Amino acid sequence: MWATNLKIVGVVLGTLALYTLIANKIPQVQSEVPQALTLGANVTPEQLVAAGEKVFNGIGGCTTCHGLGTRAPNLLTDERGTGPIGVRCAKREPGKSCKQYLYESLADPTAYVVSGYQPIMPVMTRQLSPEQVWAAIAYLEAQGGTVDVTGDDIAKAKQAAGPATAAGGGATPAGGPGLAGGSTDPKQIIQAAGCLACHKLEGQGQVIAPDLTHVGSRRDADAIRRKILDPASSITQGYEKLAGIMPKTFGSMMSASQLEALVEYLAGHK
Amino acid sequence: MSDVLLLVQAAADTTHAYRDFPLIGARAAVWIAAEVHLMFAAFVLGVPMFAVVTEAIGIFGGDERYDRLSKEFTRLLLVAYSATAIWGAILVFFLATLYPRFWAYLTAVFGTSMWVYASLFFVESFTLYLYYYGWDRWKKGRAKLWHWTLGILLNVWGTIVMFIANSWLTYMMTPPRDITPTTDPTTIKLWHAIANATWMPINVHRLIANVVFGGAIVGAYASYRFLASRTAEERAHYDWMGYVGNFIAISALIVLPFAGYWLGREIYQYDQSMGITMMGGFMSWLWVIQAFLIAVLFLTGNYYLWVGMERIPGAERFRPYTKWLLVVLVLGAIVWGTPHTMIADSKELAAMGGSHHPFLGALGVMSAKNTAVNLMILTTFLSFLMYRRANRRPVVPWADTGTRIQGAMFLVAAGIVLFYGIRGYFVEAIVRIGYSVYQVLAVLSCILFVTVIDILMARGAQSLGAIQWGKMPPRSQYALFILAVTFTWLMGLMGFARSGIRQYWHVWQVVEDTSKYAATPALGYAARMISLCVLIFLSLVAFVFWLGGLAEKSTFVSQGEARHVGH
Ligand code: HEC
Ligand code: HEC
Repeated sequence: MWATNLKIVGVVLGTLALYTLIANKIPQVQSEVPQALTLGANVTPEQLVAAGEKVFNGIGGCTTCHGLGTRAPNLLTDERGTGPIGVRCAKREPGKSCKQYLYESLADPTAYVVSGYQPIMPVMTRQLSPEQVWAAIAYLEAQGGTVDVTGDDIAKAKQAAGPATAAGGGATPAGGPGLAGGSTDPKQIIQAAGCLACHKLEGQGQVIAPDLTHVGSRRDADAIRRKILDPASSITQGYEKLAGIMPKTFGSMMSASQLEALVEYLAGHK
Repeated sequence: MSDVLLLVQAAADTTHAYRDFPLIGARAAVWIAAEVHLMFAAFVLGVPMFAVVTEAIGIFGGDERYDRLSKEFTRLLLVAYSATAIWGAILVFFLATLYPRFWAYLTAVFGTSMWVYASLFFVESFTLYLYYYGWDRWKKGRAKLWHWTLGILLNVWGTIVMFIANSWLTYMMTPPRDITPTTDPTTIKLWHAIANATWMPINVHRLIANVVFGGAIVGAYASYRFLASRTAEERAHYDWMGYVGNFIAISALIVLPFAGYWLGREIYQYDQSMGITMMGGFMSWLWVIQAFLIAVLFLTGNYYLWVGMERIPGAERFRPYTKWLLVVLVLGAIVWGTPHTMIADSKELAAMGGSHHPFLGALGVMSAKNTAVNLMILTTFLSFLMYRRANRRPVVPWADTGTRIQGAMFLVAAGIVLFYGIRGYFVEAIVRIGYSVYQVLAVLSCILFVTVIDILMARGAQSLGAIQWGKMPPRSQYALFILAVTFTWLMGLMGFARSGIRQYWHVWQVVEDTSKYAATPALGYAARMISLCVLIFLSLVAFVFWLGGLAEKSTFVSQGEARHVGH
């Protein structure tokens, strides 16, 4: 029996050793420890850019998407003839400076989706500190443009209480309760919630999702409210393939009065 | 409010957020405690499922062997339960002392459910004692049915307990999106935290995996007893038990990937970057290792069946085919393990990421390898079929036609799998992703229909001699050990994947890990930890088995019953 016991132990240890060995032979990648960035008020552009490069290649996780050909636009190199990101950033959205556009790209990535790509970019202000976000922006600006990020931007962003929530992002005035600072103006709510990233309303917005201009004639207030609170509750005909892409978080982002204002507004669109 | 909280947190950060553990460090300590606890937990959840099922077969099928088998399973449970509880206590102690701030957070959110958990565990152990010690007392008639009900209850408690524990760790992975770092944990509604995005997928995944695991461990137990047996009868009994364990493990393994896809899809939907970290980021090599392990499982499982056919009279008719099956398996394993196909190409990623196809999206990650794995599943099923058929000659008049139809079904299924596999290269990613569903459906329906035909065809079949249980060469038993070790290791690996994708977060994007162990280690280190955990677990299990042997004599069967056609 001893011989058998030994053989069993041998088989077990041998199997374990084999697996351990194989796992040690492959490339060893450790996921990085985040480095807290402390950038003072009088930080220089060079410091920002250097810090931003680290964020970009490390903790920011940007390279998992950007830099892999067709998954996301090239940032450091030319993108379809429009130049690297520092060159093209100011031309993306009319009225938005390069800095504003880049901040929006990180804080509210679905607000402007580069054509030809899917809206898969995560909200970066959720996972990165204001320092890291602004350093990354400085680094992106440095790709062919001029760096105009200052210590001030960081200080301002820090005043906004904690990391911003999903769609609120940079659009939300600092620290206000609910979306759009708690405003009950439906247009502002729609703006802040980012409905137009998918929907068209009165000629504005994207055409991914149903046009909401006449939504009141298809759904009553109840149905609209339910749709916002629980998008899975009813799927619009003809859009079954897109079921599940409308965010499920609106209910928790809006106050009750905001929701009612929005519902009433949409229901009025007959 | 939130300002105060931030201040409090900041203060806590600098003072007693973490303590270290001598020698191995805090993370390793928690890692070992959690993993070994989980392995025991999986064991004590998987085995009762068998116990009730085998008891039921005993009751309703009238075969005494099953009842004894069931009781033997349950005996193993008694000690394993205490081991689970002890390791659970160690884990809680480690968490509370080494990660006090995080532990305080978790208890603030989940306190109530932790109490329910503890009480249920108590009720569960109590039910187990009744179940085991009442076995011989409630053996006949009505009482037996009541006894069986106890077994069912045991499973119900166990499942609830697992669901509760799962809610804690899935919350750590995918906390509801409205919860931010500034959310006061005491204001989070319990149910809101429990019903998070990955809770149900993990529940289902673990339920199935526990069956697999229970089967594998029971198989190892049986093979140990087989090798240690002194009489032919004992050998026959444990040979049979090992076969049953292995059969259950492999059958459940075949459905496990579906639960895995669902989980993966939920992760992608919850957070793209988490999904990408998992499949394409720093963890992408992990899936290569996983593929290797699965290939080992398939090969070893089939090997065991093929060796097993040597003890079945009439099986020599099928032996020439096994080498072809081997070829398919090896080729499949190679294709599956090829790294390029592991990491989805950018088009596929765009397609998956594009929320356009949320369900099929996650399937797409693996769609390139689906062809290989589907063929491997078909091959394994064919092995089972040959094994079943080995000692029988069907007598129904349509036997030949039936066999031909079965053959045709295999060919059609394999054809569909190949067709879509090849065609996938010529179509857009989004279409290709849909193909994997057809492949899976083809394989599943083949398995279903072929089995039905086989059962009908076996009616009144002429026996070519009983399976000679016990006449199994020892090398087959070592195969069962390899299976058990591999399943356990795989579980450790998947556990690492699951908790590793949180990276430096205790609770994803809500509670940050600011300890010196915040970095997620590379696979080499993880593999050493996993091997260590497996070793600790198996040593303890060996001890449990040994105790089981001390406590009572083995439950081997008498000659008459062992001679029994079938399985
Ligand atoms: C999950 C993949 C993913 C990750 C991770 C990611 N991005 Fe993106 N990003 C995209 C995609 C896809 C687009 C194009 C669609 C869009 O505009 O949302 C994009 C667009 C952008 C743009 C606008 C580009 C342009 O041409 O206008 C900027 C700037 C940007 N990302 C910066 C970053 C930075 C900085 C990081 C790291 C902190 C990052 N991204 C991480 C996927 C990703
Ligand atoms: C990420 C994209 C996205 C965003 C952002 C989004 N939606 Fe939608 N929405 C969809 C899609 C896709 C559909 C159609 C599929 C479905 O019914 O789920 C839809 C359907 C609807 C419908 C039903 C339309 C009909 O004709 O039946 C309403 C109403 C609606 N959305 C309101 C809103 C409001 C209000 C917001 C902002 C608070 C919003 N959506 C934000 C994607 C989005």
